[in-house]
Formats: sequence, structure tokens, C-alpha cells
Amino acid sequence: MKIQAINIIGEGELAAKLKELVAKVDFKVIISDLSQDYAKQAADADLVLEVAPEDMAAKKKVFKSCDAKCGKEAILATATANPWVTQLAKATKRPEKVIGLNFTKNPFEEKYLVQIVRGLQTSDETIQAVKEFLGKVGVTAVKLEENPGFILDRVIASIINEAAVMYSSKLATKEDIDSMMKVCVNWPMGPFEFGDTIGVDKVVEVLESMTQQLGLRYQPCFLLRKMVDAGWLGKKTGRGFYVYS
Amino acid sequence: MEVKKIAVLGAGIMGHGIAQVCAQAGYQVNLRDTKDEFVEAGIRKIRKFLGGSVERQKMTQAEADAILGRIKGITDLKEVVKDVDLIIEAIVEDINIKKEAYKELDQICRSDTIFASNTSAQSITEMAMATKRPDKFIGMHWFNPPQLMRGIEVITHDKTSKETLDTMVGLCKKLGKEPGICKDSPGFIVNRLIQIWYNEGLNMFDEGIAEPQDIDTALKVAYNFRMGPFELRDMVGLDVALASTGTQYRELMREQFRPPRCLIMKVKAGDLGRKTGRGFYEYKSEG
Repeated sequence: MKIQAINIIGEGELAAKLKELVAKVDFKVIISDLSQDYAKQAADADLVLEVAPEDMAAKKKVFKSCDAKCGKEAILATATANPWVTQLAKATKRPEKVIGLNFTKNPFEEKYLVQIVRGLQTSDETIQAVKEFLGKVGVTAVKLEENPGFILDRVIASIINEAAVMYSSKLATKEDIDSMMKVCVNWPMGPFEFGDTIGVDKVVEVLESMTQQLGLRYQPCFLLRKMVDAGWLGKKTGRGFYVYS
Repeated sequence: MEVKKIAVLGAGIMGHGIAQVCAQAGYQVNLRDTKDEFVEAGIRKIRKFLGGSVERQKMTQAEADAILGRIKGITDLKEVVKDVDLIIEAIVEDINIKKEAYKELDQICRSDTIFASNTSAQSITEMAMATKRPDKFIGMHWFNPPQLMRGIEVITHDKTSKETLDTMVGLCKKLGKEPGICKDSPGFIVNRLIQIWYNEGLNMFDEGIAEPQDIDTALKVAYNFRMGPFELRDMVGLDVALASTGTQYRELMREQFRPPRCLIMKVKAGDLGRKTGRGFYEYKSEG
């Protein structure tokens, strides 16, 4: 199966950015928002990429309508950061053609990493087609089995959580923890800088999802919960672990 | 307290580098090891490093000579510690050997000499209590190679005095290093956090979620980590990695520090990383 026509469903920064990425290559791209008859617009697409808000019901609706209108070979992909691929597949009659394509923007450079998320029923053929497509677009992709936190959020949320435990226990200041990770082992950012960049609310969400699936060792440090309660969510609210002007 | 003269104990990988950094910052340094040949080997490495700097025109021959002139290689312990304001201990990482050494030093050193242990894994508190000067005892954790790595973890325990801490922080800055202060605890800051980073990576492989290559690539491309957890483990050596993971797990006793199964199995199989040609990845022999 060859991907030539792409339909991106959703609004916002990521949808626009994806269109720009994909448009560099000779693909036919349609971008539709949720208020339009997106399923009809997606009827001829080989790949539908849903980038709707992180709301299971809304996403299911998109998958159900696209499944009804799209050609039977079309691949239906979700950009979700949640482990929802297998659940979304259930809303369609083509579970083997449903896949996760999660885009993470590099905070330092204008580049993306794609996490290809394989649901329980996703076929090898679907993965292969998606890999070829991403290769043409020129973005680096990695593959994983559907799981809470995928690869990136699992690692990053875990180091933020441990750092929060160390800081709450007053073993060291947050500034010293961040600076030591950068100067002693060359981390690109310290754990608290990561937290403020990703968003403390998102970190807590990921940790909770991992706690549910993987156990208590992922339980969010209480400091993180208090920060969410206080609205200290990071750069986006002007204050997280640090204050931003 | 102003530090003028420093004794560095142990002329191995860390010790000789630490002595060089101190001498480069203008301090008089006594470099000590148990045998003349060890001391000479350390000084030879310093000379070679400085020679390289001269070649690359980072310093003049006269500057290199002056640095070497400030370093005195000595084996006799009493002579080494005479008139030094600070001892930086970089001997073998064995708590009993270190404690014995500190008991002896405590008796022969001036009463105001500060003791700093360059340990990554031993308890500062336990070593301090082997002396009668716990207020003058502090941890000074350097990273390898000391000449190039900019960060130093300064480790305090409950009885470290403010004066000792201030002296140490001031010294780090004079050495051109960046100090980070941490209370005595397993792994301090860096080794504790990096352990989580390693373990989460390796655990995902154990759980069948992703391959080493995918995990390493994700972290490097998305967030600019210079190497991934599997590449770094292979570089350091999986036997060394398993030993340090095991130590932290025993001390912190929390699930997230448990040695991953894949690490244990690789070590059992003798696949120790780059040094054996195979670890998580395959390496072609250089010969």
C-alpha cells in the first residue's frame, strides 16, 4: 500500500505544522477541521491523520465517521499521546489499519520525532506503509508497542518525578539539580526545565496513567500535584518550577 | 578559611586529573600514591595532557612547566599532609579502606585541615564519623575526566560546618568548576537521576515495548541527549553498570532502582558492551 493522498483532521499548531512538513513532498494534502464534513473530505485519502484534542469521545467519533467514508485500504492514524490506539481501532471495521503517529517537537531545533505506536491489532503492512511515508517526509521515526507514556514521556516524566522527590526532600535546590545534570552528564536540560517545558499537568497525567498500568513506583510526587492545584504548570502559565516573565 | 596547599591522595584516573586542575588554578599540590611507580605514572599522564595543550596552543611551554612545578609527587603520608589546608582523597572506592585512611589522616593532619572525599558511592557521613573532625569533612564528587568535566557535586552531612561548605564552594569556583550542593544520600544528585533515566530505558526493552535502537534514537532526536541509555551503558561496561545499579537499589530500596533483567542477563552472558565487542549493540573490533 502506497500513501499518496493525506488528510489531516484537526486544528492548531500541530495540524498546521504537519501540513507544512507533508507538503514539502509531492503528496496531496487536505487539512480539515472538526466543524467541517471532514469524513467526506477524507474519502479519497490513503492516510488520515487525526490531530483532534485529547478527548476520547471526540476521537472515536472521527474514527467512526472516517471508517464509514474512506476507502477500505486507507490507514487511520491518531496523533494522541495517550495509549488509545487499540481503543480507537475498536470504533472502526479496520482495526489492522489503525495506528498511532505521535509527533514530538524538539525544543531546541526545528525538528520532530515521530513515535509510531502499534496497537494490538495493527498489521505489519500498516507499519511498513507508514514508515515509508515518514521516510519520504524526512522525519525520524521510532516504533513501539502501545503502552502508557510511549517512550519519551515515560522516561522524561520519570526523571522529573524523581527530581521532584529529591527537591521536596530538600536534598538539593532545583537550580543545583538542573545544573549538575547539564554540566556533569551533558543532559540537554535539567529535570525541572524539562517539567516546565512539557507542562507539569501533562507530567502528572502521564505519571498517573503509568501508575495505573505499571504500578505505584510511578505515583506522582505530591509536590507535582500541588503545583497543578496552584496552576504552576510551567512556561505556558508563566510559572512552574521557575518563574517566566 | 583560605586554601593554599592541597594534598591529593591517589594518583589514578581521578587523582592525577584532580591534581592537575588544582595546580592549573595556581595551588601547590602534593600528589600521593602508595608506590613511587604509581605517583610517577600519574605525573607522566599530567605531563602528557599538558604537552597536548601546548601543542594545540592552549598554553605555552612555560605555563605547562609552571603547572608541573607546583605538583610534588610523594609517597610518604606524613610528608604529604604537612602544612596542607585541604586533602582531596581519591583512593579506592571501599568504605573500610577509606575509613582506615581517614583515621590515620585525622591523627597526622593539622587540626584545621579540611577532608574532602571524591567518592561517588560511599557515605560521607560514615567516613566523617571515622574522624574527630566531622565538621571539616565534606564530599567532593568529580566527574571523569576531571580536567574537562565542569561540574563537581559538593556533599554535606549533618555535621559539616558552614565554613567548610563555603570554603569548598569557593574552591570549586576558583578551580573553574561549577559546584552543586547535595546532602549525603545514595547516588547524590547525578547518579541517582541518571539511574532512573537508564532504568526506564532498559525496562521498556525488558517489557517488550521497544528495541534499544528505537529508545536511544527517540531520546537523542526529540530532546538532544548526546547518547541514549543503551549506548551509554555499552560504553561504560555492563558489568560496571550492573554493580552500580545494584548498590543504589540496595541503598534506596525502591522498585525503580531494581537492576533490569536485560542488564543482568547480558552480564551473565559475558556481553559487557564495547569492551567485549557486544552488549546491547554489536561493535566491530578495531583490529
